Amino acid sequence: MVRTPSPRRAALAGIVASALALTACSASEASGPAAGADGPVSGGTLTYLEHQAYTTLYPPSAGFYPNGALVNNLTARLLHQDPETLELEPWIATALPEVNDDATEYTFDIRTDVTYSDGTPLTAENVVANLDLFGLGDQDRALIVSEAINNYERGEVVDDDTVRFHFSAPAPGFPQAVSTINSGLLADASLELDSEGFGPGNAAQVIGAGPFVVESEELGTSIRLAAREDYAWAPPSAENQGRPHVDAVDIVIAPEDSVRIGSLVSGQAHIARQVEPQHEEQVAGAGLEIVAAQTNGVNNGLSFRFDHPLLEDIRVRQALIAGIDREEVVTSIFSEHYPLATSSLSQTALGYAEQPGAYEHDPERAAALLDEAGWEVGDDGIRVRDGERLHLVVNEALPQPRSRDVITLIAQQLREIGVELELYQGDQAAQTAAAADIEQVQIYHSMVGRADFDVIKSQYSIDNRDTLRNADESGEPIDAELEELLREVASAPSTDARTAAAAAVQAHLTEQAYVLPLFEEPQVYGLQPAVHGFETESVGRPSFAGVWLAG
Amino acid sequence: MPYALRRTGQAALVLVATFVLAFLLLHALPGDAIVARYASPELGLTEAQLDELRAVYGTDQPVWVQLWQSAAGFLTGDLGTSLQSGAQVEALIAAALPSTLALASLGFTAAVLLAIGIAVAATSSRAEWLRRAFRSLPPLFVSIPVFWLGIVLLQVVSFRLGLIPVINANPVEALVLPVLTLAVPIAAPLAQVLIRSIDDTVAEPFVAVARARGAGPRWLLSKEVARNSLLPTLTIAGVLFGELVAGAVVTETVFARTGLGRLTQEAVATRDIPVLQAIVVISAVGFVAINLAVDLVAPVIDPRLRKAVRA
Repeated sequence: MVRTPSPRRAALAGIVASALALTACSASEASGPAAGADGPVSGGTLTYLEHQAYTTLYPPSAGFYPNGALVNNLTARLLHQDPETLELEPWIATALPEVNDDATEYTFDIRTDVTYSDGTPLTAENVVANLDLFGLGDQDRALIVSEAINNYERGEVVDDDTVRFHFSAPAPGFPQAVSTINSGLLADASLELDSEGFGPGNAAQVIGAGPFVVESEELGTSIRLAAREDYAWAPPSAENQGRPHVDAVDIVIAPEDSVRIGSLVSGQAHIARQVEPQHEEQVAGAGLEIVAAQTNGVNNGLSFRFDHPLLEDIRVRQALIAGIDREEVVTSIFSEHYPLATSSLSQTALGYAEQPGAYEHDPERAAALLDEAGWEVGDDGIRVRDGERLHLVVNEALPQPRSRDVITLIAQQLREIGVELELYQGDQAAQTAAAADIEQVQIYHSMVGRADFDVIKSQYSIDNRDTLRNADESGEPIDAELEELLREVASAPSTDARTAAAAAVQAHLTEQAYVLPLFEEPQVYGLQPAVHGFETESVGRPSFAGVWLAG
Repeated sequence: MPYALRRTGQAALVLVATFVLAFLLLHALPGDAIVARYASPELGLTEAQLDELRAVYGTDQPVWVQLWQSAAGFLTGDLGTSLQSGAQVEALIAAALPSTLALASLGFTAAVLLAIGIAVAATSSRAEWLRRAFRSLPPLFVSIPVFWLGIVLLQVVSFRLGLIPVINANPVEALVLPVLTLAVPIAAPLAQVLIRSIDDTVAEPFVAVARARGAGPRWLLSKEVARNSLLPTLTIAGVLFGELVAGAVVTETVFARTGLGRLTQEAVATRDIPVLQAIVVISAVGFVAINLAVDLVAPVIDPRLRKAVRA
């Protein structure tokens, strides 16, 4: 996580500090409520501005940020992942799990003093019922399997405070998976809900054991969370071991960017999510704090679908990489909170291995590579080979910041080397449908946030997102070596072996020129100076339990 | 009476056509709601799993079967469930409608008052420059994008001056700026038509006669001219309903208000066909009902129309 006080605020603090030093005696009289620096203050209602309304509170679907902001504060998990070090620690479990040698059996000892907000106890049976649902899904209720849980077979109640989970193949990612919001534990009553029951309008039915409960909901407009008075099982590393400092959190939907930022800056709200790079100056300039939470996964970048006839030749892919000026993209469209990518994984991701010199901008080399590959510049400046134009289509990554601007700028850069890049137009459904078809989209713009080794498999494996379209028509991998390496990442039982496998994947992606990572994508929040103790979980979703309001 | 019957029949036909056309168009778009909600790669579902979900939601049926089911549902008052959230469409509409009705009716009332004010000032101000200034207001208003106006009002009134909060505002505060935003673009064509028809009416011989018999300008305007200028204005008011609906989409999004407009915007973004279908039908009903009312009321106001209709 990167915290940057604005220059003006820093300057102001300096002035205030020296003024205080000069007038120390008289100031002591007037320093009534300015207790912010002294420690947490209880009470108050935090107003949090969200970009979109939530769509479901079913934990495996909580990856969507508006969902995640709620699920993260409503539910407790077996384990907790430190957002800075990415290390796991106990939460509902009393210790890290015992695991067998091939990582197919995990045994957790769980706390027996935890209750859900409806008063029911959190039991071993209930934990197994939760993981059974998340690991297996339920098609009849349109409830999907959690992406984070692989190879799940069954759960077992060993005794009152012990549960065991069995897997059909090694599942080294499981401990991290049970720490994510996708494995937020729910009361028995909520496990009965179907997809509709988890949907908007029913938030109060989704009962967890987290620090907050849903107090009221205004469909599509706002949702109010109340602090749970008897919350006493925060993860050991949390500074606040008791109930949340604030009494309530008002989550208000403000979809229009300028309205969200304007209300934040004018003091009508305490925190706003999704401060776009172009608004950062306005927010920082007004003396507010900007928190850029790293998402610790696969960087925002382009995947070149190498099975397409136009991209089959590695020289074409290398030319695309050399033809794109990533620094111009980052400096002209984004801000300091969007660091230039140095590998397909972000620097803070598990398994990160730097790829030095892999993405250098060199238009002359790009042109030479294309010449070599037989692509000659045509009348309109676009290269042609055997009567075919070098025309590629890229999707618009609607959930990602300023994808359209990024692609527009990259298209201008590629034009210089004679490549025509077209942005696929359409809404989310159309984008998703087109992106699945290599004939329609040859370059895929995307990112994934998840703080586990598995994240690289999620992005590139033919079993998951398969952004490179590595699966042929029969479902077999075209580049079998890549798929083999990805499986190794997800199934090697030791951390060292997983680190090595992840490094091998990154090296392979570089060697084959399959991807061009652009930047490390953060979640950017704007905070009023009165907000203290704001933190995010390991993929940048807000945690309100430690927040207090003062000043 | 046959006129009223015929108009009502036409209105019903328009509704049916709207329903069918909207349904077919929504289905012709690439991708569907299952793709929008479940095929996003982060969920990692296979094509087979998606097909199972389609079966659960019944979107794997042929289009004409779905059309028939949807139509049957509408006739029995069952609007189906949202494919995005799973919520009952009736519940979503019921939650959104009151807020939009309040916004639209107040917005329209404000627009009418604004339009009358502009028209009166533009036709009966003493100073020539003042009349001209007011006459140029409607073209100005009509060219202001609702979106821009809403944001400027917010920036100035709420963010700079801090007069009215947007976040956690009370119901009255929450309506002031949106109503104003919505009223301006609706007032423009109303005022334009009103000015034009006042000009036309003033040029009529009967006004000259009334004036010759000593009628003052105020009496003329309120007794003679107003009634005669009303008809074209009423007609345009029917057409403006569409503007009101479109304005609500933008206004509600900008001001973070709940309502049909926001619901529309979200349903479009997620290809939520049952919700969109319901909104299209509700808008069409409103549009058709208002225009039908205008057509039926017009002959009552203007006796000349009654003859024209019978002929």
